[in-house]
Amino acid sequence: MKKLFIITFLVVLVTVFISWTNYSFKPKPVKFFIPKEWPQPIYDFKRNPLTEEGIELGKQLFYDGRLSKDGNFSCASCHQQFAAFSTYEHNLSHGYNNSLTSRNAPALQNLAWVKEFMQDGGINHLDVQPIAPITNEHEMGENLDSVIAKLKTDAAYKKMFKAAFGNEEINTQKIMKALSQFMLTLVSANSKYDKVMRGQASFILPEQLGYDIFKKKCSSCHPEPFFTDFSYRNIGMPVDDYLKDEGRKKITGLASDSLKFRVPSLRNVAVSAPYGHDGRFFSLYNVFEHYRKNMKPDKYTDSLVKNKLLLSNFEIGQLTAFLYTLTDSSFLRNPALAPAGYEITPIFIHNH
Amino acid sequence: MNKTINLFLALSFSLLTFGTFAQQPFTIYFNHKVGNEVLQLMERSYSNSFGEPFIVNRFRYYVSNIHVTDINNKKTVIDQYYLIDEADSNSKTIKLSVPNNRIKQIEFALGVDSIKNVSGVQTGNLDPAKGMFWTWNTGYVFAKLEGQSDSSHIASHYFTYHIGGYKPNENAIRKINFSIMNREWSNTFSINVDLLKWFDGNLKLKINESPVCHVPGKLAMQIADNYSQMFSIQQ
Ligand code: HEC
Ligand code: HEC
Repeated sequence: MKKLFIITFLVVLVTVFISWTNYSFKPKPVKFFIPKEWPQPIYDFKRNPLTEEGIELGKQLFYDGRLSKDGNFSCASCHQQFAAFSTYEHNLSHGYNNSLTSRNAPALQNLAWVKEFMQDGGINHLDVQPIAPITNEHEMGENLDSVIAKLKTDAAYKKMFKAAFGNEEINTQKIMKALSQFMLTLVSANSKYDKVMRGQASFILPEQLGYDIFKKKCSSCHPEPFFTDFSYRNIGMPVDDYLKDEGRKKITGLASDSLKFRVPSLRNVAVSAPYGHDGRFFSLYNVFEHYRKNMKPDKYTDSLVKNKLLLSNFEIGQLTAFLYTLTDSSFLRNPALAPAGYEITPIFIHNH
Repeated sequence: MNKTINLFLALSFSLLTFGTFAQQPFTIYFNHKVGNEVLQLMERSYSNSFGEPFIVNRFRYYVSNIHVTDINNKKTVIDQYYLIDEADSNSKTIKLSVPNNRIKQIEFALGVDSIKNVSGVQTGNLDPAKGMFWTWNTGYVFAKLEGQSDSSHIASHYFTYHIGGYKPNENAIRKINFSIMNREWSNTFSINVDLLKWFDGNLKLKINESPVCHVPGKLAMQIADNYSQMFSIQQ
């Protein structure tokens, strides 16, 4: 009898010990901030709860060139903080082996509210998005197995994976979830426009006039607060002879989706030139010229723009003044988003 | 007090053992063939029904959602994803544990259900690193057949079929269903998989005409219809 009790006692002791070591894995939860008046995010945080350790690991990975074949192309080499995580002043971005991407890198911001990723909406979840650039030969040119093998040789990573996910094992799923955690923190909601909406600032006259024009001529596709309705539309940009990019049609196979691209957010648009899915518009002025003059509507061009938009030079000036109020410098300079050890993303990150 | 605890412990122990003892192992083998010949990767040249010669470099597919029904109509669902790969002989054997009764029916799906296609990054056999995943148009490749054929007019005479598609209008998931009542009972079970049917089914897939299928859509669905006919029970 006594023996039995001792055995039971020992079993209980071991169980308690095991659960205690499991409990000692306690990453610090981070509450996701939803700006006032914004809808609930689409990203399912329950399946990948934000933690300080997870975000830190994601940031480390985002800035690590080892995710690419030759070590030169981190995510950040194409997604630079000072350009709202687009590629600064590049129509197309540089990737592995002197190649170029086939599209213009968009700003990475407010991704928790995005349902489909890429300008053709081909990717259905943030957690699988990074696999595309890592394995694309024009971007990072690497494969997942060798990324994992490289990370495993780094003791610091082992520690970080353990802190974020409870054990040292490194696998695709953990890498992706960590990258998502970091990317989800790229929330831009503190531009002058946002402050005006919150009653903390006011527009000067041209900005206000620009805002009024914007609401009349642009909001049906670029509605607040994201300045996109996330739909795919053809705005009469003829196909590029060289890239032959048909946009959404590539994903759905439908002729009616020909040359449709996702409506881009206009937040931080002043720092994310050039514009358009292939970066063909050098400046905002070229975009306006497109809407009022240069567009080549075809059968599938959106009815809202197929007769071109009437925009006077005055209106263009005012719209530009308004679009500049969408620049969120607290986001562009947030030290929490810069690589570890830097206050702000160093220029050398962009060495191409 | 002590007695009740002991009784409780004894009871739960016997329940546990009873529960496990009521199971039996059940093994499924996949035998890959081309007509009557055993498939050999890269080595042998075969010929399809249209006289096109071909060699096979890669042959893989997902088997999932296995349902086993016993003679009391009790269904066991195995919530696992198996990646059967000709290059990995272990993968061609699936070992299950099923209720200890005669099994009368077995069903499985070829492919990966839509939920797993839309809910982010998976692990294990569904790890995108397994190479059965489209990165630019999210979704699993359900089956891959790659090889070379003089009938192919693309570079290096390759032919590559990557079949998948989970959206309602591009659904390439196919169900396979075998009744195994009219054969002698044994808890191992062999399925023959005849690659000739990949080419020759409702769709006459000529390498010469379509050496490539890499996107979900009509052709992929037709090829999936064809390859769902590859499976038969070895008598
Ligand atoms: C070589 C340049 C390059 C690299 C390196 C790169 N990207 Fe991108 N990224 C792009 C381009 C270009 C696009 C737009 C692609 C498209 O629309 O088809 C993009 C799109 C994205 C998007 C989708 C944004 C949206 O709004 O739909 C995310 C998220 C993203 N990248 C994250 C990453 C991560 C994470 C990494 C590192 C693992 C990375 N990128 C590496 C160029 C790059
Ligand atoms: C019919 C819907 C629609 C309307 C109306 C519309 N846009 Fe757009 N806009 C789009 C789409 C779609 C794109 C992306 C096109 C592409 O890249 O292929 C875009 C792109 C842009 C871009 C480039 C952004 C970038 O990051 O590349 C700017 C700037 C822009 N629009 C501003 C405006 C302004 C200002 C107005 C009002 C005068 C306006 N748009 C009206 C649909 C619309």
